[in-house]
Amino acid sequence: MTTTEAPPRTKTMVAALNEALDLAMAEHPEMFLIGEDIGVMGGDFGVTRNLFKKYGAERVRDTPLSEAAIIGTCVGAAMVGMRPVAEIMFADFLGECFDQIVNNAAKMHYMFDGQFKASIVIRTAAGGGFGGGPHHSQSVEGWFLNVPGLVIVAPATPADAKGLLIASIENDNPVLFLEHKALYSMKGEVPEGYYRTPLREAAVRRPGGDVTIVATMRMVPEALAAADALASDEIDCEVIDLRTIRPYDTEAILASVTKTGRAVVAIEAPKTGGLAAELSATIGEECFRQLKAPVERVAGVDAPIPFSLVLEKYVLPGRDEVAAGVRKVLAGGT
Amino acid sequence: MVRTVAVQLNTLLDLYRDMWTIRAFEQGLEREFQKGNVPGMLHTGLGQEATQAALAAHLQKTDAFFPDHCCHGINALAQERHKGNGRAIMAELFGRATGVCSGKGGSLHSADPEVGNFGDNAVEGSYMATVLGVALAFRMRGQPRVACCVIGDGTVGRGEFHESLNMAKIWELPVLYACVNNGYAISTPVAEAHATGDIVELVEGYRIPNEQVDGNDFELAYQAVERAVGSIRAGRGPYFLEFKTWRWQGMFSGEFRPAEEIRYWKEEHEPIKLARTHLLETGEVDDEELTRIEDEEKAKIEDWIGLALASPMPDPAKATQDVYVGWGVEGR
Repeated sequence: MTTTEAPPRTKTMVAALNEALDLAMAEHPEMFLIGEDIGVMGGDFGVTRNLFKKYGAERVRDTPLSEAAIIGTCVGAAMVGMRPVAEIMFADFLGECFDQIVNNAAKMHYMFDGQFKASIVIRTAAGGGFGGGPHHSQSVEGWFLNVPGLVIVAPATPADAKGLLIASIENDNPVLFLEHKALYSMKGEVPEGYYRTPLREAAVRRPGGDVTIVATMRMVPEALAAADALASDEIDCEVIDLRTIRPYDTEAILASVTKTGRAVVAIEAPKTGGLAAELSATIGEECFRQLKAPVERVAGVDAPIPFSLVLEKYVLPGRDEVAAGVRKVLAGGT
Repeated sequence: MVRTVAVQLNTLLDLYRDMWTIRAFEQGLEREFQKGNVPGMLHTGLGQEATQAALAAHLQKTDAFFPDHCCHGINALAQERHKGNGRAIMAELFGRATGVCSGKGGSLHSADPEVGNFGDNAVEGSYMATVLGVALAFRMRGQPRVACCVIGDGTVGRGEFHESLNMAKIWELPVLYACVNNGYAISTPVAEAHATGDIVELVEGYRIPNEQVDGNDFELAYQAVERAVGSIRAGRGPYFLEFKTWRWQGMFSGEFRPAEEIRYWKEEHEPIKLARTHLLETGEVDDEELTRIEDEEKAKIEDWIGLALASPMPDPAKATQDVYVGWGVEGR
């Protein structure tokens, strides 16, 4: 067989996201981008770079510092059939438009009996690890977990970032799309062209038989690194990348835990009341008889995220904490 | 407050009828609420009929209209005018399956896009952000439509008020802001809550054309809305109307307002009484005709209340429908 295949394309997550927006803008005339400094400047992280030049000020729309108005504008436009994609510069600023997301976007379809759709995507830069301090580093999925009607998507690879963003834009529900800042420069193979990565489907990143690790965003590569380290001690971890946080893929998690009998949940956000707690509760409720040890939550310390890198590293979980969690569920079992 | 060329008698009679639809709707609703037939909370538009009828008269079904908490009457008028089913607003307030939102929305979330009603958002003023998006879409598509939101004087305190006015102006969006300044946000007097009791003074800073109108004078209110809607449809950007009016209902808290103020607004400057006097002064209608209009509207509303009471409750299975587009959620 002759090898005519193109060499694999390696791209950063930022470039993959940019490509997704570009292709989707060409595909969907009813789509527009809106946010702070997304036009000429191309966004704080460069995700909308060159799109202003290509699509113009009408479809790539700079705004004042008015997060509530940005999301409200998206919802209103979606009510009459548009498909807006907003950029909220940092996830920490979602507090400024919390009401628009929780009371407006997420409930629009339901409270008006299906007469409107809030088909919007809210892209935002989440997560810590770079000294951003208390207001530029948070993992906010827990703030929104308790909101029926909202979809939360969080990619961990460049290929998924592209496919999940396209799928989110096409979806008729309001999607909060979390882009982890530590992954923006991560490189990976990214397929060409317009493609969708299905929502609500987790991905097994590493098959294994001893312990299931469920992770999202930056904690996926951290869990994979921990799994590699543990493999030298003949501990065989299965790593699941959740990809869609709400509604999440219960089936994939339970199938894995049923097989391994042990589970670690690895989430960057503070431990109390968040995604780690939610996943742990579901595994406990559904797999009680298969579990050989209590589910372990590897999460952030219950503190704001401090500025100094030494302090930040202490607060945020990493590969060492994941590995320690895995050893704990192996030791603490029956 | 300008009185321009007189409005035609037929139009004034239509407005008079609409004011009675609103009055009878709210009074009937209040009675049924006291009886326990209407769940939740109730904020009526009693005393604001002239403003509401004027707005309803100029909005088309292809426009978008975001009502506030006190707009049951406008919602019913739009429903009746465009689909002949004003009763579906009444049924919604009674939580019935026959309501415009099958009982899921109630008093604060009644919507029907087919008549231009884009629904209230019970977080007062949040739709001031939403209205921008509808207006932006209208403009991007080149449609000469109006996106209107009705707000109270209390809404001026919300951050969205300022974000909305600013963005509507910089993008010159086709938004009609209809501010019903009835003097109080629940119990807080307007002049104590804001830098000024005259909201248009704040609007000046945003460089949006604005007018302060006697909201209890049906003819002046009608003409003001006509000017505003005309300007917006002509592509001249947003327009702000402040209607000075007063609401009858004490809103949860009983009566706390001065006796002289109550007397002025409920007797001397009461909108339906003013309209009646004005119509009789034309010499072209008589008392009998006006009483007939009043009686017809009252009877119609009683009919709607009867239908609402006789309507079925929603099926509990409805509670898990439409949480997501295309995806189900687990029920009990």
